[in-house]
Amino acid sequence: MKIVIFGGTPGSGKTSIIKFIIQELKDLKIHYVKFDVLSTDDDLLIKQKFGVSTENKISGEVCPDHYAALEIPKIIEKHKDKDLIIIETAGLCLRCSPYVNEGLAVNVLNILAGKPSGYGPLLTDADVIIVSKGDLISQAEREIFRSKILEVNKNGLIIDGNGLTGEGAIDVSERIKKIPEVKKTLTLKNSMPTAICGYCYGNKILDSKETLNRYNRGKELKARVPNLNCGKCGFKSCNEFIRAVLDKKINEDRCPYIKK
Amino acid sequence: MKIKNITILSGYNKKKEKEIIEKIEILEGQKIGIVGHTGSGKSQLLYDIEKLAYGETKTKRKILINGKKADKILKTDPSIKIIGYLTQHMNFMTDTSVYEFLKTHIITRGKHKSKEETKKIIEKVIDEANKITGEEIKKETNLLILSGGQSRALMVADLAYVSESPIILIDEIENAGIKIKQALTLLIKKGKIIFLVTHDPMLALDTDKRFVMKNGGINNVIHTSIREKGIANYFSWINDYILDIRENIRDGKKVDELRLICTPVGEKK
Repeated sequence: MKIVIFGGTPGSGKTSIIKFIIQELKDLKIHYVKFDVLSTDDDLLIKQKFGVSTENKISGEVCPDHYAALEIPKIIEKHKDKDLIIIETAGLCLRCSPYVNEGLAVNVLNILAGKPSGYGPLLTDADVIIVSKGDLISQAEREIFRSKILEVNKNGLIIDGNGLTGEGAIDVSERIKKIPEVKKTLTLKNSMPTAICGYCYGNKILDSKETLNRYNRGKELKARVPNLNCGKCGFKSCNEFIRAVLDKKINEDRCPYIKK
Repeated sequence: MKIKNITILSGYNKKKEKEIIEKIEILEGQKIGIVGHTGSGKSQLLYDIEKLAYGETKTKRKILINGKKADKILKTDPSIKIIGYLTQHMNFMTDTSVYEFLKTHIITRGKHKSKEETKKIIEKVIDEANKITGEEIKKETNLLILSGGQSRALMVADLAYVSESPIILIDEIENAGIKIKQALTLLIKKGKIIFLVTHDPMLALDTDKRFVMKNGGINNVIHTSIREKGIANYFSWINDYILDIRENIRDGKKVDELRLICTPVGEKK
């Protein structure tokens, strides 16, 4: 079983290019997972069109990249029988980008969206960079853009891609065929930013006292919940549960494992 | 890299039928038109050539350079990329001057040897671009405010003097605001091979031969007749004439005379 993680800002053309790649790799047993924040139907469209197994993961109140990191091991466990798992992240934050050390990290990079130096690990840690929307600008500028990518990511394979025509899909597919199978422990390529303030526990009032208060209460609860994200409370994660308790939406008894 | 010829070995059309013409050879300095209806496979053919395909694309065509399969490095290293591409869209997004932009491109292409030499190339590019467009480009002009015609002219001159790619693909370039024939002549003068997707009779008839695309395959190759070339010349004259009038109107002049006699290109004014 192989794993490929696609990251890229919204509207960069991730889904369109993935469709062409799935078409290219139709001989493989593929599982496609789409992470998003609010809603998505890409998983259904892909299932309909290509008949591959798909699912969506909506992160809701949790940071979508952290959520992806939480879910990836479960997805792998469930789909061991597949040849290839394609994970499409929500791609909102350039800081996290939950690429893992195995498989392939693919960044779909919209050439119109700004300078390569403005991107973090999303671009710098990618193994493959698909430059999209290049057909809208001149070749000279494409070449300049490419050299700017190389300044921040020397080892990435840069491929011109087009979500409308499928350009680049063959090259990415060839690269995917060459990656090794996933072994045991997956490690994030890049650690995620520290999330330790009251806002992480759902504080909304812009005030340092208020957010410290929220943080202390959040930390106290965090020490008492099992942190297994078992979902028995009805929330996706313990963090979401804690937020709901702090917002007084539910009682802490909702967690069957909470230490009194 | 010196390119003496390109060979296209036939692939399959959308109906999975083998293309009729097994082998097409194109020589240095030739201009090839690619014509056909929407969806007939024109862009795919350009794509195959740009990729220097060797059986891995949808059509399974093979493109040979100087009779041989292209080296892999030609496909991956952009600084020695042998294919130049002029597309329908030539917008710019970098907020910088024409001069700085060309300088960056020269450095990217690994052509920056000395300050003076780079300056000379930049001036040459702007000078040649100005011969193609009627609207003068100045070196300090911001890229983002260039008109469509100015952008196209600048990119043609850039292809000729900075990229110097020996093979040029042109995808339905608009001729508004530029003397397209002079632009192509500039490129051909430098010994390039040009592939031109177009619906414009002036351009399609001004080629050495044209591929007629159908169902995703090359269905026919028509060698341009002398008569057709003459007609193309006439159209080109009309195009330049319109461009002149356009500039006159911009200058605030009145247009009170209709020129009817076809004067050969280059002798007017």
